[in-house]
Amino acid sequence: MKNKLLWRLCAFIAVGTVLLFWAIAWLTNHTETSMSFLDKAHQETLYAYGKEAEKIYLEKGEEGLAVFLKEIRAKENTWLAVLNSEMTTFADTKMLDEFADRFQIGRSPEWKIHLYFSENPVMEVPFVDNNTHFLIQLPQRMRPGSLLLATRLTLQIALPLVILSLLSFMLYRHVMTPLKQLERATKDFANGNLEARAMATMPERNDELTTLAQTFDKMAQRTSSLIYNQRSLLADLSHELRTPLARIDMAIDFVEQDINREQALSRLRYEASTMRELVEDTLTFAWLNTESPQLNSDDFDLVELINVICEDARFEYPDRTLYVDTPECASIGKSSQLALGQALENIVRNALRHTPQKSKVSLTLVSDNQNYIITVTDEGVGVPDSMLDAIFEPFFRVDKARANKTYVHSSKRSGFGLGLALAKRQVAAVGGEISAKNRINSNDIPATARTHAKGTSEKKQAGLVVTITLPKLSNAAFAN
Amino acid sequence: MCETRILIIEDDATLSEQITQLLQARGCDTRHESDGHAGLHAALEENFDLVLLDIRLPSLNGLSLLHQLRQIKQTPVMMITASGAEQERIEGYRKGADDYLPKPFNFTEMMLRIDAILRRSKAMNSSGTQKSEMLVDVLYLNRIQQVTKYHATLLEFTPIQFKLLWMLVENKGETLSKAFLYHSVLNKPFSRYDRSLDMHLSRVRKKLVETGMPPGRLATVHGQGYRFS
Repeated sequence: MKNKLLWRLCAFIAVGTVLLFWAIAWLTNHTETSMSFLDKAHQETLYAYGKEAEKIYLEKGEEGLAVFLKEIRAKENTWLAVLNSEMTTFADTKMLDEFADRFQIGRSPEWKIHLYFSENPVMEVPFVDNNTHFLIQLPQRMRPGSLLLATRLTLQIALPLVILSLLSFMLYRHVMTPLKQLERATKDFANGNLEARAMATMPERNDELTTLAQTFDKMAQRTSSLIYNQRSLLADLSHELRTPLARIDMAIDFVEQDINREQALSRLRYEASTMRELVEDTLTFAWLNTESPQLNSDDFDLVELINVICEDARFEYPDRTLYVDTPECASIGKSSQLALGQALENIVRNALRHTPQKSKVSLTLVSDNQNYIITVTDEGVGVPDSMLDAIFEPFFRVDKARANKTYVHSSKRSGFGLGLALAKRQVAAVGGEISAKNRINSNDIPATARTHAKGTSEKKQAGLVVTITLPKLSNAAFAN
Repeated sequence: MCETRILIIEDDATLSEQITQLLQARGCDTRHESDGHAGLHAALEENFDLVLLDIRLPSLNGLSLLHQLRQIKQTPVMMITASGAEQERIEGYRKGADDYLPKPFNFTEMMLRIDAILRRSKAMNSSGTQKSEMLVDVLYLNRIQQVTKYHATLLEFTPIQFKLLWMLVENKGETLSKAFLYHSVLNKPFSRYDRSLDMHLSRVRKKLVETGMPPGRLATVHGQGYRFS
């Protein structure tokens, strides 16, 4: 469910508060009502006064009653009276039936009192004849509801205050617990612990806050992998720079001691250019890797690009055959000639470098509805299957991982294991994909290509097949 | 390259000393400034054929220097940048500069580019004297009408392709460097992996060969450039 936290807050705050106020209203009402009745003992006292008055009146007459009443008036310090209500109707009207047997002037002691009237009500105990009424204003000592104010304060202020504070505290805990975990993870990460993640310590739940934690983890993952990559790139780069630097130092000694001067100078030139390329490629790599740019400014003919690259490659490797099979033309849109050119150049060179002399590298281009598929196949020794992905990592060498293997990923100039790593990122920057697999036997290469391969063994021979898939109209275009 | 006056604005003493010596050995007249403001003054008070301008400079950086200079003068400027790798980004800064040379570079490469810029700015100054048509054996080019004929066959070229062919034919027998051709034909600086010039040339050559020209006449001189002979 989306917005889980929202629904939870709604349930807690909206429904909870309405329920709370309803409960408080009901409770206040109920308590007030129950407080409005006279105490049982007081009720009995009042009845007793009435009975006593009737008894004295019947036995001793009006004078005795007067004495008694005076006594009570003094005792209770209130107003009282006994009165007769012989009522006659006239003008052709009739008394209501319920008033026929008994007509009441004051309130019965069992009734509740209106606590909001400050004046005490007049209570009545009727004599048996029903026409004589013993009336007494409720003595102050018998008035109920003396605790009304305190009760009201408790129920309407103190109780909601406590409950709402409790609710706030619970909500705070509910929201802050994951946020605290996240803060801890962020602090850890900021202090240099690149392994710090928020989800690991997150309580079991699934809402907006855990989504935030997951997003943080994703960010941390990407950032830490970038940092690790940069670290290893830097380590590899400085390692790779040592060799040409050592050779340069050596060549300087040669020049100083005048031994084979010409050769030393050409060595110097060669090493400097190697280092230049290395630094340049590393910077390009770092740029592509950290910024993942989308390059989509060019429309051009892929076949033309392939042809100019292959022409140069043939010149560079005259002792190997480079077979190219492409359609007449293959126009590609919203791509980058610069990035693709460098990627293809690196892949073709890499293939030629790892193919023995007198053997063949073939490049084919086919197209389906959306994509161009370029396949570069060499006749080298291939790469162990487990490392087919790893060859696209910077400075990767098969021999580094497997000491016994004679295959050296980058033996010649401009190798350094950056070519394929760059190619992968460059192809990605124009919206394409690159992958590698081993050629199991010679049947894998196209029949037309094989006829050119006479003289090389038709036996089982591994070689590397690099496949590039390029969208005809790069998706990168839609991102902008 | 004689009597060429070059201003070098670069704060690295060793590098600028090396450049100065090598340029002077080639017969150029050089002046060196290592500070941004001083460099701008020098560029304004004297007439140079070219300014070599570093981006990171004390007191005034190369980009603002270029901006201020351009408001007054159109002296060709070649920026020296710390890295050529982030080319896409540099493109944005490049407005106003005639070329940029990423560090590290070697002297041969720098001379090729200086040469290209100077040839272009000289060609622009003397454009009035350019001829409008050329005939080499059976190849006929007309610059005004943009017409190309081989024997009697009319060939269709885009303006860039025509310009490229014109440039090569005009300098018949001479190998033109890629850096120069990038400047004079495509109006953009050369970078190592840029293949657009090669692709244009390959198309021009293909069309000419289809109408019967021997492929060797429009030759690729590997590592140097192209030559029409």
